[in-house]
Amino acid sequence: MKTKTKIKKQDSPANVTLPKKNMAKPAKVTIHKLPTGIRGLDEILGGGVPEFSFNIIAGTPGCGKTTLAHQIVFANATVKKPALYFTVLGEPALKMLRYQQQYSFFDEAKLGKAIRFINLSDMVEKQDLNAVLEEIIEQVMEANPGIVVVDSFRTVVRKAKADASELEMQTFIQHLAQFLTSWEATTFLVGEYFPEEMRDNPVFTVADGLLWLSQLTERNSVVRKLQILKLRGQASVPGLHTFRISGHGLQAFSRTLGLGGNNKGPELRRRLSVGISELDKMMNGGLFEGDSLLVAGPSGTGKSALATQFVAEGLRRGETAVMALFEERPAQYAARADSLGLQLTTPQEKGKLELLYLRPLDLSVDEITQEILDAVERVGAKRLVIDSLVGFEMALAPGFREDFRESLYRMIVALTGAGVTILTTVEVEDNFTELQFSHYAISFLTDDIIRLRYVEIDGQLRKVMVVIKMRGGNHSKDIREYVITDKGVVLIHPRSTDYEGLTTGIPHRTGPRPAQKEEAAPEPKALK
Amino acid sequence: MTYEVLENKSSRAMPAAGFQVCEKLHLHLATFMGSTGFRTLLSRSLALSAAEVPWLRAVHINADWSLAGREELQAELGPDELFEGGVVLLANLLGLLVVFIGENLTVRLVREVWPKVPLNDLDFSEGGQP
Repeated sequence: MKTKTKIKKQDSPANVTLPKKNMAKPAKVTIHKLPTGIRGLDEILGGGVPEFSFNIIAGTPGCGKTTLAHQIVFANATVKKPALYFTVLGEPALKMLRYQQQYSFFDEAKLGKAIRFINLSDMVEKQDLNAVLEEIIEQVMEANPGIVVVDSFRTVVRKAKADASELEMQTFIQHLAQFLTSWEATTFLVGEYFPEEMRDNPVFTVADGLLWLSQLTERNSVVRKLQILKLRGQASVPGLHTFRISGHGLQAFSRTLGLGGNNKGPELRRRLSVGISELDKMMNGGLFEGDSLLVAGPSGTGKSALATQFVAEGLRRGETAVMALFEERPAQYAARADSLGLQLTTPQEKGKLELLYLRPLDLSVDEITQEILDAVERVGAKRLVIDSLVGFEMALAPGFREDFRESLYRMIVALTGAGVTILTTVEVEDNFTELQFSHYAISFLTDDIIRLRYVEIDGQLRKVMVVIKMRGGNHSKDIREYVITDKGVVLIHPRSTDYEGLTTGIPHRTGPRPAQKEEAAPEPKALK
Repeated sequence: MTYEVLENKSSRAMPAAGFQVCEKLHLHLATFMGSTGFRTLLSRSLALSAAEVPWLRAVHINADWSLAGREELQAELGPDELFEGGVVLLANLLGLLVVFIGENLTVRLVREVWPKVPLNDLDFSEGGQP
């Protein structure tokens, strides 16, 4: 073969003229990543499990270690590159198959040729570490697997510790890791460990990756979390991430869920009508697209009605929407909206609207965020209602309530970043000395705030609303009286200059009392 | 069992065919559930079978899982009785597998040992015999 590079016999390497392409920096090795088959976990790991890595799946009993290992195995094993699953004195193989086949990821067609279970219990019981290593080596050389699992590796170590010296134990782990990596197998050692055992344990030193699972009982709820304590060669997402085990196996929720990606949102933001023309005027033309609006007010002030009008207006303009309901069941909610002439039932049937009912008491914010993000993606929603924050907080496991504000921030940033306009309702108790916006001190999370409240006027408990804040835009400072009719929330009067102290709920008349007949109640429902 | 007898090509093998099938299953199942695991499963099958076939009470499982006492009984029992005992033992062993891991996985395990045996008509229901 002829080459264009001319190298003289006496040339030193420094004098050699290499073709341009060879002068480029040598390419670094590309580490391929195996998918875990667990939704959300690849993102946390930084793309998947590094190929040929030697990993530990550790945690306390019952936190899902074996299920996690099985999901990885079922996601990757093929007849050409099978998985060897060594079981050792842990869960009996029969029971493992009995339980694991309940999960949707369990594909029995893979058993035998793509996934082989090999029991090492007898060998561990009766022989030494060398024999165990030899058996693993023999099986691996014969099967040429892509994935090797030892479950439970802890029992191997425990037995070995009783019989062998620490040096022998370290040598065994070193040889095992070297052999399996050399044979191009990605390895998972599954074991029941407690955090304090990590120190001075050779297996944790040798391991490339360490996935730590835990479950904490918080009052009556169980909170499952996972942490990537170590992962060589790639950047994983640090911190504790929640996960859930369902009929589909594990699902992980990154603590940075939704914050990745290029969520710039629309460059030119339109104004969106909230479905109440007078309120649109107060907001200087409506809500900015991609804004987060908080509607705060006490019970019965029409927060849900306003939220429904906001969604109905979007639907009327051909937009799609999602309503995440935490207090009222979707059927009731839709029926009430229908009675106001705000049709929610038909758009649901047409796939333009999805009503999510989220009321379990042990959810994490990340799970709810994932549910909402999924629904928004399913229908391509441009408008989202969260009704209400109080119900949202109640749906969380007690352990997650401490993180509520932080998690809420992530969710709102993720959704508004994607161009979704959010209306969130929050119930606040009216007191008659100040005007609260929310118990949660989350006002900084929202772009716009509308406050609804009761005021006592002329012996009646009436309702007023005021636009407190609109980020990036001017707005009316008027306090406007409104009523709830069979059309929903309707603003009825221009601002009144005859009162002061409306925001306290007990205003004083400052203007002249107009001559009037006995005043009719402005609430139609109060009429007999 | 019929397949195993035909494979064996020995008329003398016929009465003990059930036991031979168990032996073959052991070689395969011990890989995935361990010899101890197989032994406990066989022990339970034997206990269940002894209720139907009383002479099986005299059979015990050795530490290496082999059946002790079968040879002696073989001399005393007729071929039909021996055959029946083997069938019942095998049926209970497979029945237990079905209870634990379900019909599909059991059939899959059996098929791995006897890939050519047609298993489509197996009846694992109560009273049915594999």
